[in-house]
Amino acid sequence: MEYVNPLTGLRIDGRRPTEMRHLKAQIGVVSKADGSALFEMGNTRVIAAVYGPREVQNRGQQMNNNEALVRCEYSMANFSTGDRARKPKGDRRSTEISLVIRQTMEACILTKLMPRSQIDIFVQVLQADGGTRSACINAATLALADAGIPMRDIVTSCSAGYLCTMPLLDLNYAEDSAGGPDVTVGILAKMDKVTLLQMDAKLPLDTFETVMQLAIEGCKAIAQYIREIMLQNTKQLECRRGS
Amino acid sequence: METTQMTEGGGGGATGIAAQMEVEAFRRLFPLPFYKRHLLESVRPDARALDYARDTTISLGPVASADGSALVKIGETAMLAAIKLEVMTPSKERPDEGSIVVEFYMPPICSPMVRPGRPAEVAPVISKQLLDVIRSSGMVNLKELCLISGKASWIAYLDIYCLNADGSLFDAALLSAVAAFTHLQIPLVSVTEEGRVFTVSSEQEEKTKFELVNKEKRKLSLSSIPFPLTCVIHEDYILVDPTAEEETVMETSITLVLDTLGNLVSIYKPGGVGLASTEIMKECITRTKRRMQELKTILEESVSVMEVD
Repeated sequence: MEYVNPLTGLRIDGRRPTEMRHLKAQIGVVSKADGSALFEMGNTRVIAAVYGPREVQNRGQQMNNNEALVRCEYSMANFSTGDRARKPKGDRRSTEISLVIRQTMEACILTKLMPRSQIDIFVQVLQADGGTRSACINAATLALADAGIPMRDIVTSCSAGYLCTMPLLDLNYAEDSAGGPDVTVGILAKMDKVTLLQMDAKLPLDTFETVMQLAIEGCKAIAQYIREIMLQNTKQLECRRGS
Repeated sequence: METTQMTEGGGGGATGIAAQMEVEAFRRLFPLPFYKRHLLESVRPDARALDYARDTTISLGPVASADGSALVKIGETAMLAAIKLEVMTPSKERPDEGSIVVEFYMPPICSPMVRPGRPAEVAPVISKQLLDVIRSSGMVNLKELCLISGKASWIAYLDIYCLNADGSLFDAALLSAVAAFTHLQIPLVSVTEEGRVFTVSSEQEEKTKFELVNKEKRKLSLSSIPFPLTCVIHEDYILVDPTAEEETVMETSITLVLDTLGNLVSIYKPGGVGLASTEIMKECITRTKRRMQELKTILEESVSVMEVD
């Protein structure tokens, strides 16, 4: 199957190989949550809600008295994928992604500032079209910012792959399931440090470097967009506050 | 932000614990007296009159991958409903009927009360209520979900997700279910020689040589659509369309469902401190009738907006 058309150089959805999907974000979608955000990357739509810092519910889980406990749960809506998912929450993939998101966000939250408390990050996938992991991390970053939780830096994430001898940025579901490699990268934007790096399938080393660089460029572009959204949001808050 | 001071006068049950207190603190510590003060003026904390429901919006088709979907917001309460159709063999007793499966989820994003490992108590209750109302209202004629009598019919999986829980959850859920069924488009279907039924997408339609079982993409013809209204009762006051705070404070809610033909489809009053006399029930029914007209207009508007697109 031609994932990159040899004549036009375009992918199946009409994008160029290093072009990301259309991004859209909205802060404050769940009024009951301390912080929330809706993040869209093309057709992938994800809502993140943050509750915290609040009292620790399960004393047994509280390992360290000097730090906040960060918990994360990832779940997909039944209708989010093409076929109706049978078990949207407890399955292995969801548990793995919950763990990945938790550890990624833990790296950037200043947990030492909030000892003996708990921060819950809940992510709900409404529509899945590839790159759900990345969309969840981006949504979680915005939700944490909306909740006012102190962070070291903003974390953004993007995926890239390698098909038909071309590195492709931001794979959608069709490209992801093509069987080629899929590199997901999460970086701390300003500090320029990699916090999440996952890859499956085989890649020669130099190709891997190109693909990873491409993903990092994608992350930086998303970070730019997230900053704009946060700035807009702050301006609105300032307006409402009347100052 | 200006902090408004509220002097503790003679009203309410709070006995002079603090002569002056901030409004927010008073609201948390003495919720019933706080509401009493508002009810005496026939108003609620969000400046609504007692018989006014919050702004309701319906948006059809937010989930592109589902056969029918709707997003409903009543105030801050948001519900996302989506219907996916799958083919199944009908039962022997009812060979020419399809079936509907309703599932209602309250994921942890919707409310601080819901946590992983401690699901919301109210979710399975609402799930059952929804199924009962959809079945007993007869809104969907199950015979329309039949494909080949005795061999194949549709099973409609209706999944409703609560995205923000701020009171009147059943109202929003039923409204989103109704809107999703209004939006539902049954896909085209064809049969192989072995008798296996498969869906034909619209691109394949022109090129196909298969025999199409249902000729045009059909919409369900819905009769007698049910519309709900939840009220809370406190002494002699009836508060229409409560927020989550009002539901927790007043503890007695009644949910009434009327259909477009004017029949009473369901009454649900699960106990509670407040008692409902016949007058109160009649009041609630009048309010529900008015709300039904409102909701009907809103639903029709959203359908026409979608058709324009």
